[in-house]
Amino acid sequence: MREQLNELVRQAESDILACQNPNDVMNVKAQYLGKKSLLNGLFARLRELPPEERPAFGNQINESRNRIEALLEAQSTKVKEAAWNTREGGKATDMSMPGITSSRGGFHPLTIIRREIDDVFLSMGFEIAEGPDIEDDFHNFDALNTPADHPSRNLADTFYLEDGSLLRSQTSTVQIRVMESYPPPIRIISPGRCYRNDKPDPSHSPVFHQVEALVVDKGISLADMTDTLSQFASIMFGANVGSRIRPHFFPFTEPSAEMDISCVVCGGAGCRVCKHSGWLEMGGAGMVDPNVFKTLGIDSEIYTGFAFGLGIERIAMLKYNIPDMRILFENDLRMLRQFKGESR
Amino acid sequence: MKISLNWLAKYIDLPDSVTELEKLLTFAGIEVEGVKHIPALQESVFSARIVSAEADPKSDHLHCCKVDIGDYPYNDKTEDGLVQVICGAPNCHAGMMALIAMPGTVLPEFTIAKAKIRGVESHGMLCSEKELGISDNHAGIIELPEDTAIGLMANELYELPDTIFELEITPNRPDLLGYIGIARDLSAKLNIALRLPVIQIPEPKFPAGELPLTLVNEDTELCPRYTARLFRNVHITQSPLWLKRALIKSGLRPINNLVDITNFVLLEYGHPLHAFDYDKLAPLPSGDTHPAIVIRKAIAKEPIMALDGKSYNLDGDELVIADGEKASALAGVMGGNLSAISDSTTRIVLESAAFHPGSVRKTSYKHKISTDSSYRFERHLSDHATTNASLRATQLICELAQAELCEAVYDDWQKPTVALVLGIRPARYEQVIGYYLDGDTIKDYLEKLGLRFIQYGNWKPGAISDISEVYCHHGEEIKQGLTEFSEQPDCIHTLYFEIPTSRVDLEREIDLIEELARLDGYDKVPVKTLPGRIMDRHAYKTMRQITDYIVSRGCFETLNYSFTDPDTMAKLGFQESDPEMQMIRLRNPQSGTMSVMRTSLIPQLLQNLVYNLNRGERNVKLFELGKTYFKIAGKHSEPMHLSAIFTGLNREENWQDKSIQLGATTLKGILDELFLLLGVHNCACAPANRPFLNKQENASYTVYKQEVGYFGKLSATVAESFGIDLIELKQDLWILHLDVDNIVEITRNRKMKFSPIPRYPAVTRDISFLIADNVGYSEIEACVKGVDCSLIEEVKVFDEYRGKQIPAGHRSLSIHVKFQDTEKTLTDERIDHLVDLVKTKLTETWQINLR
Ligand SMILES: [Zn+2]
Repeated sequence: MREQLNELVRQAESDILACQNPNDVMNVKAQYLGKKSLLNGLFARLRELPPEERPAFGNQINESRNRIEALLEAQSTKVKEAAWNTREGGKATDMSMPGITSSRGGFHPLTIIRREIDDVFLSMGFEIAEGPDIEDDFHNFDALNTPADHPSRNLADTFYLEDGSLLRSQTSTVQIRVMESYPPPIRIISPGRCYRNDKPDPSHSPVFHQVEALVVDKGISLADMTDTLSQFASIMFGANVGSRIRPHFFPFTEPSAEMDISCVVCGGAGCRVCKHSGWLEMGGAGMVDPNVFKTLGIDSEIYTGFAFGLGIERIAMLKYNIPDMRILFENDLRMLRQFKGESR
Repeated sequence: MKISLNWLAKYIDLPDSVTELEKLLTFAGIEVEGVKHIPALQESVFSARIVSAEADPKSDHLHCCKVDIGDYPYNDKTEDGLVQVICGAPNCHAGMMALIAMPGTVLPEFTIAKAKIRGVESHGMLCSEKELGISDNHAGIIELPEDTAIGLMANELYELPDTIFELEITPNRPDLLGYIGIARDLSAKLNIALRLPVIQIPEPKFPAGELPLTLVNEDTELCPRYTARLFRNVHITQSPLWLKRALIKSGLRPINNLVDITNFVLLEYGHPLHAFDYDKLAPLPSGDTHPAIVIRKAIAKEPIMALDGKSYNLDGDELVIADGEKASALAGVMGGNLSAISDSTTRIVLESAAFHPGSVRKTSYKHKISTDSSYRFERHLSDHATTNASLRATQLICELAQAELCEAVYDDWQKPTVALVLGIRPARYEQVIGYYLDGDTIKDYLEKLGLRFIQYGNWKPGAISDISEVYCHHGEEIKQGLTEFSEQPDCIHTLYFEIPTSRVDLEREIDLIEELARLDGYDKVPVKTLPGRIMDRHAYKTMRQITDYIVSRGCFETLNYSFTDPDTMAKLGFQESDPEMQMIRLRNPQSGTMSVMRTSLIPQLLQNLVYNLNRGERNVKLFELGKTYFKIAGKHSEPMHLSAIFTGLNREENWQDKSIQLGATTLKGILDELFLLLGVHNCACAPANRPFLNKQENASYTVYKQEVGYFGKLSATVAESFGIDLIELKQDLWILHLDVDNIVEITRNRKMKFSPIPRYPAVTRDISFLIADNVGYSEIEACVKGVDCSLIEEVKVFDEYRGKQIPAGHRSLSIHVKFQDTEKTLTDERIDHLVDLVKTKLTETWQINLR
């Protein structure tokens, strides 16, 4: 009988492995484990054995049954997987074919830079303020402490409209408008379009983009300005990019400064881009002139403030190594497509 | 912690309004977790005597009582002038003083009426505390002290109305764990006087020798102070009503006068006490025969039977109060049964002690016993506080238990805690909190809190051990200086205070600053910036969201000059009278092609398109987000536009699926999805009416008559005027336009609201039918939805077919109809019925052929 059992298990093993589909597995299962199976038959014949051998042989039958069950389970899994993979249309892909992508577009590099600047300043607690492009003399010049005979007021420098208004030559106009409407403390940046009567060339454009920052509060010092600038430079251009300020003159600020960042091309060693100085000019800055506060009715004994302005085109050109400003306004898809990956 | 406002009002004048007080406490840092009002009762609820109480033979709990209601006017009195009341309370018995509510009384939960109970008339009800709304106790009717007069109103007896506050005391403020602590904090906050109880203890009646006690403190670290007073001739009885009601309203059960007194002092002063039965204390094994109190660590495996009736096996770490032989209390946690006060007790030892908070916490945690006592000791009570607690209890024991006080006062106090001396600089307060508080105000607040002002001086950090170090000869000058604005926190302007030992939380200057800021009110802290006042965050976010989406649909952003060529606007087909043609002219343009401010972004986009077509591009999707410039009625305006131009394939070609040319449905899909994302709902569609668009394929979207956008096919003539030959190009040009300013305003107050996830599955059924071409799909969708708006959640077309087997002028449409019931699972029968309704409605409306 033991012989019979062993033979049965061997036969079951080979039958199970021969199963090709879930149906075969079902049939084999019925054959070996069903009510009328040979295995059950052996159970029935258990009492033919001497009583002392029965328990051991009973165990052996059970073990065989467990083994057959396990084999059936494993084969069932295997044939199901195979059945799904070989179904009609279930062919494996050539993994070297290109994937199917969506057709995302992209932002203009100036928008990319502007968004980056916005995010840096928003994270530092600044608000974003906007104002009109079409301005008047007061907001563009007078309130900014620009003398009446200052050359920047010329037709050769500033665009005027036929009705006597003008196109703002810097976004400082927005700062004036904010200070007119809101008492300090103020922490804003004002990004936007500016206009100057420059003929388009590699480093000029009659329409360009600026972002200016203004902070007015008690106890604001030049140190706060340099701190903000250095934070901005390192977030925008990289942690190792330094910044500095140099004395300069602007009617709007006193003391005034030009701000530089260490050259992003050569890292400060000197190269063609930085004219071998190791520094790149980023824009004007300074402490808001008490005269400006006076015009706006802010007590300059209580409040101090700083302001600075950055050119977005210049930042984009430096950061992306764009040689000519005119490229930025051609809207050539071959240029725009390159910035798909920067579009966040 | 539950506090009764009537009780609290004994120590301080409270504001009239409960909400005002609640706000005050909250802003003083004491959170009011719950407020329970106990309303006043009517005059028909009063004290009465149960003259007789006969058990009802037919019931196991009802009593028929005859109740003496005195001269209270009532028509249905019995011949002997009593009223008959049926009462089911187990404690109802003859001779007892109870509270009766006469028929007609409105109680918090029900109204009393004359009733017949099992055929016997009942005129009113004898009430439990719960029925009167005083507490949750419903175990029996109220038993008033025997000497209570008949006819006293419940309102007077229970001081009603009253309000109970449930307070959350933060763990750093153990000093607030009693009525007086709360009152003291309020007195500082409100700047009004505190009324402390006047403690007068009677003259001792007998010398120490007549009630000798051996006191041994073996662990002065875990028990820094232990005081004991002894009493004899103690009468253990019920407490007077004022004491009972005080405990009841604070959530404690009255037990007997002695236990009630210790509980009362615990609530009043926040300091737990314990009383032992003197005669149950064993003497030390060796030595004299005096009852002994030994403060010691438990012995390993030492058992104690606690007052909760449970036996605990100690492991040796616990501090116990033992007698000469065995542990009789878990120090600071719970008393023991063996030495407990019983009705027959006549001589007692009153314990008032200070225990180490960590030790009490460990014992309480280990044996899972949390009591009003352990709760307080765990939070660190001052060793100085034991004095008043003991005196107050002594006064009450002599008064209420007619006890005699022993001359001897046992006070084991090796190292009294030394009060800290701390300085506070007003200038530092300003530096940390942001506004100035002058020296006098600081003094006022802190003195009300129980701090003792010592002097002005120069600043020295940390606790001061020798006050002469900060002595300043020019005290008055400094005081003068204190009222002035000062920006130098290190200057000599400092006030020095002695901190009461109960304020374990005040250890540094910054703690005092916090106290002052709390008392002066966080609402006084100036608001420095008004965030969001300048920036239009909604507009900013919306513009980013719109452009992000447009880019995700394959468009590249362009930027063009703000000025343009005036001819290009005419090329779009605008008339001279159109606002688009009223362009603002530059006085000094660089050239004629840059001589006017743009009124549309479309001409420049067309120029960008031509530029790119000339460079071999065929699939072009470009957009610009930018300002346009108008001057209307003498005023400049700069509306923000987004315009886009599309031509070529729907999406990038790939090897798997064939791309198709983009068309009206692509553009419509972009607008539909964008408006869905932005929350622009209820768009109405109409022809776009733009001169540069093809007359058929275009649509304008409006919300509340404001146009939010349009799209359409560019007219071939206009294309040609920009130099694009559509026939040669073999592609349509599509324009999409968004009025950004209108979208921003329409979505400004939009709020996303979560709707509950349906608990029952939705079911989708498909319906296919033939329908005439002149019926628009939107009409069909509206018609189907109209069948049952509450159950039909979505209607979606998934197939349109024209061709073989379809009659001319017709199309076959297939729609999904999604049913959803939020109340229950939809049965097949119900869905079948709904589908039939839909089919009938469609057939009735348009003679459709179902397929
Ligand atoms: Zn360089």
